[in-house]
Amino acid sequence: MRTTIGRTALPALLGLVLGALYPATADAGDTSGSMRVGDLQYGNALDPTGWGPLIWPKDPAGMSYLHAGMLRTPSGVLYPFPGSAPKANPLGPTTDWTYTGLLELGYVHVGGDRDAEFFRQYSGWKNGPVLGLLYLGFYNPRTGGFADLRGSRLSADDQYYRLRAGRYGSYRVEAFYRDIPHVVATDAYPLWNGVGTTHLTLPAPLLPGQSTPAQVAAVESQRPRRTIGLTRRRSGLSYEGTLYRNWIGYASVVNEKRDGTRLWGGPMFFSFPGQGLTGAALETVRPIDFSTTDINLGLRKVGKLWRFNAVYTGSFFRDHKSSLYYQSPYHPTPVVPGVPAAGIIDQGQFALEPDNDYHNLRLELSRELRHDGELSMSAAYGTMRQDDTLMPPVDCTGKGGFVLGGADYTFNCADWNTPAALLRPRANARIDTGLLDARLSFHPTRKFSWHAELRYYKEDNKTRYLSYNPLTGQYGYISENGTQGTVVPGELGIFDPKNPLWWSALTQVENMPFSYQDSVFTLAGDWYASLRDTLSADFSFDHYQPKYRERTRVDEPRLKLSWAHRAEDGPTVRLSWEYADRTGNHYNYDPYEQFFSDTLPGYVFGENGIMAWTTDAMRKYDLSDRKESKARLILTYPWGDTATLSATFYGNRDRYGADVGRQSTSTSGFTASWDWQPSPATSFNANLGVESTRLKFANVADDEALIDASPGQADPSLGGPLYPWANYWWDVDRERDYNAGLTFMHDFGRVRFDASYNYIWSVSRLDYERNSDASLTYPQDAGLLPPPGTVGAFPDNHYRTSTLDLGLDFAVTPSVGVRLFGRYEHGSFYDWHYAGLAQSLVVGNKVYTDVGPQQHYSVTLLGVMLTMKL
Amino acid sequence: MRVISLSLAALLSVAIGLAGVMLSSPVARAQQGGDAPAAQDDASHQPSSRLSASDIARMLPPTDMGAGAAMPHGMPAHAFDDGPATPFDAASIPPNPLAPDAQPVGAKTCIACHALENVQASHGLHVASFRAGSANTGPQAACEACHGPGSDHEKDPTKAGLIIAYTHDAKTPVETQTRTCLSCHAGGARQHWTGSVHEARGLSCTDCHNPMLRLSPEGALANDSINEMCATCHQDIRAKFNRRSHMPLPEGQMSCVDCHNPHGSLTRPLLKTDTVNETCYTCHAEKRGPFLFEHAPVRENCLNCHDPHGSNQQTLLVLPVPMLCQQCHTNTRHPNDLQVPTNLSNGPTPDERLMGRGCLTCHANVHGSNNPSGSHFHE
Repeated sequence: MRTTIGRTALPALLGLVLGALYPATADAGDTSGSMRVGDLQYGNALDPTGWGPLIWPKDPAGMSYLHAGMLRTPSGVLYPFPGSAPKANPLGPTTDWTYTGLLELGYVHVGGDRDAEFFRQYSGWKNGPVLGLLYLGFYNPRTGGFADLRGSRLSADDQYYRLRAGRYGSYRVEAFYRDIPHVVATDAYPLWNGVGTTHLTLPAPLLPGQSTPAQVAAVESQRPRRTIGLTRRRSGLSYEGTLYRNWIGYASVVNEKRDGTRLWGGPMFFSFPGQGLTGAALETVRPIDFSTTDINLGLRKVGKLWRFNAVYTGSFFRDHKSSLYYQSPYHPTPVVPGVPAAGIIDQGQFALEPDNDYHNLRLELSRELRHDGELSMSAAYGTMRQDDTLMPPVDCTGKGGFVLGGADYTFNCADWNTPAALLRPRANARIDTGLLDARLSFHPTRKFSWHAELRYYKEDNKTRYLSYNPLTGQYGYISENGTQGTVVPGELGIFDPKNPLWWSALTQVENMPFSYQDSVFTLAGDWYASLRDTLSADFSFDHYQPKYRERTRVDEPRLKLSWAHRAEDGPTVRLSWEYADRTGNHYNYDPYEQFFSDTLPGYVFGENGIMAWTTDAMRKYDLSDRKESKARLILTYPWGDTATLSATFYGNRDRYGADVGRQSTSTSGFTASWDWQPSPATSFNANLGVESTRLKFANVADDEALIDASPGQADPSLGGPLYPWANYWWDVDRERDYNAGLTFMHDFGRVRFDASYNYIWSVSRLDYERNSDASLTYPQDAGLLPPPGTVGAFPDNHYRTSTLDLGLDFAVTPSVGVRLFGRYEHGSFYDWHYAGLAQSLVVGNKVYTDVGPQQHYSVTLLGVMLTMKL
Repeated sequence: MRVISLSLAALLSVAIGLAGVMLSSPVARAQQGGDAPAAQDDASHQPSSRLSASDIARMLPPTDMGAGAAMPHGMPAHAFDDGPATPFDAASIPPNPLAPDAQPVGAKTCIACHALENVQASHGLHVASFRAGSANTGPQAACEACHGPGSDHEKDPTKAGLIIAYTHDAKTPVETQTRTCLSCHAGGARQHWTGSVHEARGLSCTDCHNPMLRLSPEGALANDSINEMCATCHQDIRAKFNRRSHMPLPEGQMSCVDCHNPHGSLTRPLLKTDTVNETCYTCHAEKRGPFLFEHAPVRENCLNCHDPHGSNQQTLLVLPVPMLCQQCHTNTRHPNDLQVPTNLSNGPTPDERLMGRGCLTCHANVHGSNNPSGSHFHE
């Protein structure tokens, strides 16, 4: 009886749904969903593929009666054996519709360190029932109509459901909902109350600005452990279908809500000078309360000669908590002994990300030409804008700064903690972008083809902002809520052309509207030397023109040579080598002067000149000269009839023309994978990878004694008085990464067994070397370090995990199965950033929240799943 | 170490045990052992058992190409004609440059030998949808819409090249393979295939897709997952996702094609948007701004500081902080001091520039600040 009801009610329900979706349209091509960013993959840690149970068991018949085993891809990789097709059940006696279905339900138990950060990073594992997979597929072989529902749920923060329906070649609609967790810390102990809100307050008995490190440490040690992280909750709806003849329209809307917390900051000026008690450094927690709506509208046509695509992309981001206020247990103390601060500044503020709107319209047009040619042109215009209400420059009350020797270095908070202190109340920020791309390709003979491309992209920042307080007539801003000026005399952050105390103050008074244009010309040719061999040469010239940067022109010619060899009875080899030489025009080590107060009327140059912002030997690595070479070899070797060996060898070398800044990087690596599939019932994979990277950069500590005290402060030269060679130092970061894995599956008939073991080990070492102890912040530590001229090192950081997965699938009946599975994961981790924080999160006037990822963890996961074919 | 040893011991035990089981497995025996004698038999009887072209022609069923009125048997095959580009029932038959005089023979003839291929392909998305499209108009849109006219292959089935094939041992040039696929699948996500790096490296559509099998429920992939498919060649990139901070690909929440279009795009790394940053902003829209105060390398390119695939540092950074920042920030005073282990939290002179989140403890708004006092990103 139940079966009869099901077989009559289900088609009726489905008929209603599909009838509503079924427009009278002509046939159309395949979908444009893959042109959008995101939401093409639905899976989770239980089943990363998202459809594992649907592709098992493998069909014992294989692929063909004409040959044993499987054929290979053109590159030589064995195709996997096909899965046994699910049985298609008729929906009813009077309909062409059939359905297949699968339900996998079960229970998961997680034992051991189940809150380990790396175990939970993107996985919502919890003890309890789980939905492994729900799949319902409906198909009409006569009309091509279809509907597919796929869903899985590990927990409330880790689940997805997606429905697709339509008619092949005609139209498709899709709706989905998914939750994706992202855990960033599971060993966090925030000092503050109100975590997750915009106001962080100190717990009793701590008082803002009036607490000692010992008092804070006592309270901190009692704070509860929390997990810091967020969940993305996404839902979307899309449609694609033929509008008229070959004109296809597509549209989608995706809404995302992000809720949670992230680790954040809280500066109250430096804590490190003066025995760590002058200012305060606070690791706070910020709220995440975002919503984003993405809209995609498109129209395309594919004809014999012409292909056209027009697409509008809109993104509308809203931050529902766009500010953060936090209390500090400490108050800043003037560095001048015996001089009291004018007031207590015991709180700070952040402007969090503003709402923004983004629009982009792209047109693409391609036309086939004679000689197997094609001309393709694209143009896009985009604009991103935000006009949030601006916060007042400070949120303090009373007075900040201090009086020193009769000089009044104070300010009234009331003059700055109001919107009236701003020249304009809103941001009015805008960046426009433009893209033009033209590509011409020809294949005039069977032996030769070539293509040329010119791409132009422009980003124009139209935001202009002047930091000026109409209430005081002063330019600039109050740095760090007034704490900097309360610690260091005169360093409020303001320029006042009428006040001798601040008419020589160098401070930023305008925003820097970074913009750029980038033109890339490419000319490439392929010579098909034989059916097996292709030789390619690709030359490109990148002409980059940044605005308000150290260089206004950067050119990079690049040559890439490739050889592809594919033999129908042997290996496939893809070898490439490329070389690029980046240069540019004059490097201006300080291009930002125009945004600073010394360009304003009334600025009085001091007798010692303007402090050199940085050394003239500095080269920022995105604009510096660079010689780059890359090589890569990808080998695919058919090993007998049942195995494939593939390997990759690769290396990159970059040499930067910089005495100060990034100097060199290099990467060398090797990977290998062996796949063996002797039968549909058995498969095995072994893989291995090794990579080594090295990065070197150099810097030079300035002689701070010269600042505001000597004309030498204006000398930017490396080796000069401000940047002496004696203060020169350099770091070398070396990283080695190893990974190895084994995967085995065998189907015994009623029982299928699978096992995998994966081992990951990354170790990184940071070496340092210095010319003298003058480069140190604390010369008194010199005796604890290797002497100058010799290499010192930080403790090695490492990340190591080993994971064993075992699974057994029992076929109870042809339609019912049981899966038992387990995972044992062990991890080891060290990062010197967190050294000592496990002992105390309060270090002087520094307060931390995150102890850091667990140094050792072991997790055992056991599960049982019941699989039913519907 | 003890745990690793335990794990290895467990794995070895399992492997040894299963090796024995597998070797005695009837399925494996049947598959492995059963084929070998057959091959030997074939070899030993080859002279007398080989069929001649006339034998095959006599044994094959008559063509069914006349069953539909749209494309009679005698009609010369030519692809890329004036017909609609995508409707299945109007799919034309592509020419095979290695068999220029071949004529269509119809699916019935093909299936006479390729019976199991027909069964398997029918379960796949591609052929199933193809069949549905041609259900009302006859059999012309069948095997030969992809494999080209089959008459020459019918006459000499063992000679490679007489049919358009898509596998490793095929004589068909890759360009012919891709052209045939694009005769229906041009445009859309494949608008920029021509000149793309994957085209230049000689990849065929069937390196990543297999429309003849149901290897994946979606996308007609040649493997059971997108990420595994890409890792066939990009093993080094897959390895990066094993690192401490990574995008959630190993956890199944993302795939390579969420950001990249392997069929070609307007960028060298095959990104789906105009720039690296635009791709990142799609999921990290809060970073888009624009902000009142911008950070030059951030606005220019997220990759200046992040490796999007994976990193040994926090939040995908390419170097530990503060060293990451000190590559550029040689500015006077606090940025350019050498940091050493004695400045760690457990050292004699703890320094907040080195501890925890380093520079970001104060300059938390490093991606840009909308605070009027935020030019240094610490408000």
